[in-house]
Amino acid sequence: MNNIYINGSGNVSPQATTDNRHFLENPLSFEVRRLKCIDPDYKRFIPAEQIRRMGRIIRMGIAASKLCLEDAGFGAAAVSAGEFVPDAIITGTGLGCVEETEKFLTSMIRNKEEFLTPTAFIQSTHNTVAGQIALMLKCHGYNFTYVHRGVSFESALTDAMTQMQLGEISNALVGGSDELTANSFAITSRLGLWKQNPVNTFNLLNDHQRGSVAGEGSAFFFLEDHQTACSQAILNGVTMFLNPSSPQEISSRVRDFLAVHQLNPGDIDLVLMGLNGDPRTDILYHDLVESDFPLTSLGYFKNLSGEYHTASAFATWLAAMMLKTQTVPEVIQINKPPARLEKVLIYNHFQGKNHAFILLSRP
Amino acid sequence: MDELINKLKKEVIEQLNLEEISPDDIDPDSSLFGEGLGLDSIDALELIVLLEKNYGIKIEDPKDGKKIFHSIRTMAEYITEHKK
Repeated sequence: MNNIYINGSGNVSPQATTDNRHFLENPLSFEVRRLKCIDPDYKRFIPAEQIRRMGRIIRMGIAASKLCLEDAGFGAAAVSAGEFVPDAIITGTGLGCVEETEKFLTSMIRNKEEFLTPTAFIQSTHNTVAGQIALMLKCHGYNFTYVHRGVSFESALTDAMTQMQLGEISNALVGGSDELTANSFAITSRLGLWKQNPVNTFNLLNDHQRGSVAGEGSAFFFLEDHQTACSQAILNGVTMFLNPSSPQEISSRVRDFLAVHQLNPGDIDLVLMGLNGDPRTDILYHDLVESDFPLTSLGYFKNLSGEYHTASAFATWLAAMMLKTQTVPEVIQINKPPARLEKVLIYNHFQGKNHAFILLSRP
Repeated sequence: MDELINKLKKEVIEQLNLEEISPDDIDPDSSLFGEGLGLDSIDALELIVLLEKNYGIKIEDPKDGKKIFHSIRTMAEYITEHKK
């Protein structure tokens, strides 16, 4: 089986992540209950006549995908002119285009299901981000969006890897996007997902309130079946599972996953965990460290991204950039970082239900 | 008529989310589609809904749309003639 390489990445997040030449040089801390993305100048990526119809998640997705292609070595002018066309565009999203869906539903309620306008409806479907990217790149290839709660991004990655391994495609633009609106934050607050009081994000793991800090973001990756000068990491594998019955099952799952790649837990240089500050579910990470990675270097990332369904896309960007630059930013370190970074394992779960491992290695 | 034209300009900007365009930028006699504001078929649907929602005017024959939505002034004239 040939290697699959991450040859470019683009990330719109609550941090300054839109320029991979400056990898988390000045991480930002916030005293908040929710994190909002730093909006790049979207007009650089989207023509003015099109941008007015696009909701925020669509803008974020297009910006991240174009940044990704630029990072992969395709010039900004060529990308904007649609001169580069990927074989496939595959995305994942937990909740899709929430802002436009709210607009459409609010209009239905206010106007008693009359006077429905087309724009919000067109933009409200989950596959709008992938669709709009395809339109901009003039890509008529495979286009698919996975909406699988906390493993939506991992599902997109799995699809791309499977098709590349089967030789159906030789490259793919793969991403994960989710947005948070005031309404969706209020509703999910009532479900107890978020902390009641603002927390300093750099102190996320020491805060004992229930819940996490809400987040959002869009990260895209250009996967190819060969190495280039832009290669950041090898994407070795992805696995997902639902509702594990016990910590022992998670331990068993990680060992089985690593065994497929002829690895043991001791071979992993750094485990990047989705710890989100919620003591109710962070225990699952601690249990796995205790059972399988007691001596391994550990990191986390939701102090930077916040919690959302496709936060693992942010983690994948972080892991790929760490492997490329051979640096482990201090802000993500839980214990002593490794002297050399060859293999990174991402372990993330969403609310203790949707679990996934992603394995990356140095090219 | 001028008052209605100014009101329409604001409503069109809001309905179509015409970022960076102010009412003063819109010439009431210039074409809304093509060379003028550069609106397209989706915008036309939005304008039909705007007329119905804000002025209670339903366009029965789609062929009339081309004439009605030629410019802000033609829209204002149609509203004045047909407002219930």
